Amino acid sequence: MVMLFSALWRSMGADIEQLRAILKVRLLMDDRRPAGIGRQQRKGRKRYSIVSVIIYCLMGCGYMFLLVAVKDRVLSLTLYFSAFLTIITLMLIADFSSVLFDSRDKYILFPRPVNDRTLVLSRMLHIFIYLFRIVLPMSLPGWIALGFLDGWKSCLLFPLVVLLMIGFALFFVNGVYLLVLKVAKPEKFKDVINYFQIAIMALFFTCYYVLLPMIRRQQMQNLNIVDYPWVRYVPSYWLALCWSWIGYPVALTGTAPFSALAVLCPLAFMYALVRWLSPAFSRNMSGIDAVDVAENKKPGVKREAPGKFYLKLAYAFNRSDDERAGFMITWLQSSRSRAFRMKVYPTFAFIPVYFFYILTQNHTSLTHAFLHLRDHPKHIILLYMSSFVMINAINYIAISDQYKAAWVYYATPVEAPGKIMMGAFKAIWVKYFLPFFILISAFVLYIWGIAAIPDIILALVNVTLFVSCIARISQRHLPFSMMEQMKDRGSRVAKSVMVMLIPFTLGGMHYLTVDMLWLKFIFLVLSAILLWLVAGSYSNTSWENMISREAE
Amino acid sequence: MEPIITVRGLRKNYGDKAVLKDINLDIYPGKIIGYIGPNGAGKSTTVKILTGIIQEYEGAVTAFGKNLRENILEVKSRVGYIPELAELYDLLTPREYLSFIGKLYHLQDGIIEERSRKMLESFGLADNMDQRMDSFSKGMKQKVLITSGLLHNPAIVIMDEPLSGLDANAVILVKELLQALKQEGKTIFYCSHMMDVVEKVSDRIVLINDGSIVADGTIDELRQNNADTLEQIFSRLTSGGNQVQKADDLAAAMSDR
Repeated sequence: MVMLFSALWRSMGADIEQLRAILKVRLLMDDRRPAGIGRQQRKGRKRYSIVSVIIYCLMGCGYMFLLVAVKDRVLSLTLYFSAFLTIITLMLIADFSSVLFDSRDKYILFPRPVNDRTLVLSRMLHIFIYLFRIVLPMSLPGWIALGFLDGWKSCLLFPLVVLLMIGFALFFVNGVYLLVLKVAKPEKFKDVINYFQIAIMALFFTCYYVLLPMIRRQQMQNLNIVDYPWVRYVPSYWLALCWSWIGYPVALTGTAPFSALAVLCPLAFMYALVRWLSPAFSRNMSGIDAVDVAENKKPGVKREAPGKFYLKLAYAFNRSDDERAGFMITWLQSSRSRAFRMKVYPTFAFIPVYFFYILTQNHTSLTHAFLHLRDHPKHIILLYMSSFVMINAINYIAISDQYKAAWVYYATPVEAPGKIMMGAFKAIWVKYFLPFFILISAFVLYIWGIAAIPDIILALVNVTLFVSCIARISQRHLPFSMMEQMKDRGSRVAKSVMVMLIPFTLGGMHYLTVDMLWLKFIFLVLSAILLWLVAGSYSNTSWENMISREAE
Repeated sequence: MEPIITVRGLRKNYGDKAVLKDINLDIYPGKIIGYIGPNGAGKSTTVKILTGIIQEYEGAVTAFGKNLRENILEVKSRVGYIPELAELYDLLTPREYLSFIGKLYHLQDGIIEERSRKMLESFGLADNMDQRMDSFSKGMKQKVLITSGLLHNPAIVIMDEPLSGLDANAVILVKELLQALKQEGKTIFYCSHMMDVVEKVSDRIVLINDGSIVADGTIDELRQNNADTLEQIFSRLTSGGNQVQKADDLAAAMSDR
């Protein structure tokens, strides 16, 4: 389908035949999961993709309500596209950006006479195809709703604007990356990008959750776009303005011409990206993985201090050598792997921001919110939200670019892989979750006083219980033993949205016990017993369990 | 003398494809076995079965007089495996990686520390103990892998192309190491494509082609006349020896004649 625009790609300097060949192979490879150690080759997972289509459709339904709830079409579309643009930008930043800088085919493509524009475009279109597969089910409900509400004109325009929206996000995000690639020193590039990604994720969450309540404070029905003149600088507004072409009124006078930006920006971004930013792409790319060896020869450079702290912890928290090995590898790999940092660190920012959002939801001002903080047991929400960090980290321990190095688990006398997984789980718990939880607890104690101590203990046990259930059910993989699959990208965002509902249920139960200390105590004992059972069963995962899970 | 490894009627299929067809082997302690064969002959599959990485196969494999399937952990703890291609977690330093591997073999911290220091020193990597391996050359990584395979003082060492990426000095060092390990009574199962090395170091050579053993004996036994090198024997047994013709065909293929 993307090859329909061959003429456009050619005009940008790409070689069509090569582009088609590269894309074809990349898509083919995505469909073939590598047959790892102890793993048989198997066909694509149809069942999962149907589940994710349903999840995306459901998310799309959520967005659709914005279209139905707000009368002013341009305004409702602005809200709709804002929400949509946010989620796909997040997906691009979190899940897809590594595709652009994937250097695995370095030795295959770079020595061939393939120009940089073709290379960049092939990666861009590859991402586009996947993004499109996600966006399609997500936009479907909105599309249908528009058809019912507005008729055929709106219905025809919608897919066009959705494509523009994808273009917007895709070319903007990747354009920024390529710009950084051009400016930054290649060896430092991945780190620069990594911190940039973390920062932008945090920024996004902040904007989303701080701006949203501002809008929400007004009743949806009475929302008037004239009150927000700054909206004219927001891309999603430009996209919504496209509806002025088919006769929908624009409340903000004089802004209708901005709709041209909706069309021009993606095209301009794309053009700039392919024409100006992509030359020297491969030269810079090959620099990315090159580590300055000369630099390393100097004593002290890039040396890891032979710190023994993690070893002490490994002994303190684990009883067997296998657990210790899992603990050690996870402790060390997690903070050094860029992919892991990228995926896990933003959650740390997300939680305070989200809490702040919940906090200010029903209050007129910040000071008012803080004054009345003590009146409600909101600390329970905060305590349970800490589980997101852990869930996210657990989801990513199994993933590594160096998944092939996992042969060691199979060639060494490891009795049960569960022990190693348990060690890895503990490492994440001690390294990422516990310090964060202590920080949150300190805040809770400061605001709500020592009366909150039983809550803190109960929440700690419950969150650990909940996360170990997730690990037990879905994460029975050895640490750093799996390759990240293109297919799984994006769907992870959707999955974690679903998973996040569960801590709220547990938190809700906890909430009910708020004034009953004895009930809390019973709850605590029950949870502790359950935790002990679940953790035991997780650490007893045998080779047979693991292989049968993988075969599923 | 009892064989340290016996393989009887070993078969392995991937789907419909038979990779190993009835392999029978007796390997005696203190010997260096050169295991050679063309690409795809089944060498790596044999190695993966002997190291316990692949556990689905037909036939019987015993090591140290015990059935491999039933005593997999015990056998693994006495076998050292050095794979080809430096696949390791290179975000770690050699010290950290070896400590991780040592734990998987249930070694004490002190022993891990001492052995890895001594071995890396001999490899000339003493100064690199605390550097991340992502800056290492392939050869340096391979040295760390060799160390990790010998760390637990195994009785059987299985090497799959251990010289890949090593420079000439390191190759000499490893060849000497093989002899030293043999002197200590260790059994070495050595897979390689480097015929000259295999010819020099092996006490016995096993040639596998298309899943079956086609030759098994000392280099002298394999020679039909004194002029044969292992390379010539290999070529004759695995491809009919018509490499010159094939090379001509290859060169001709490009010229569209």
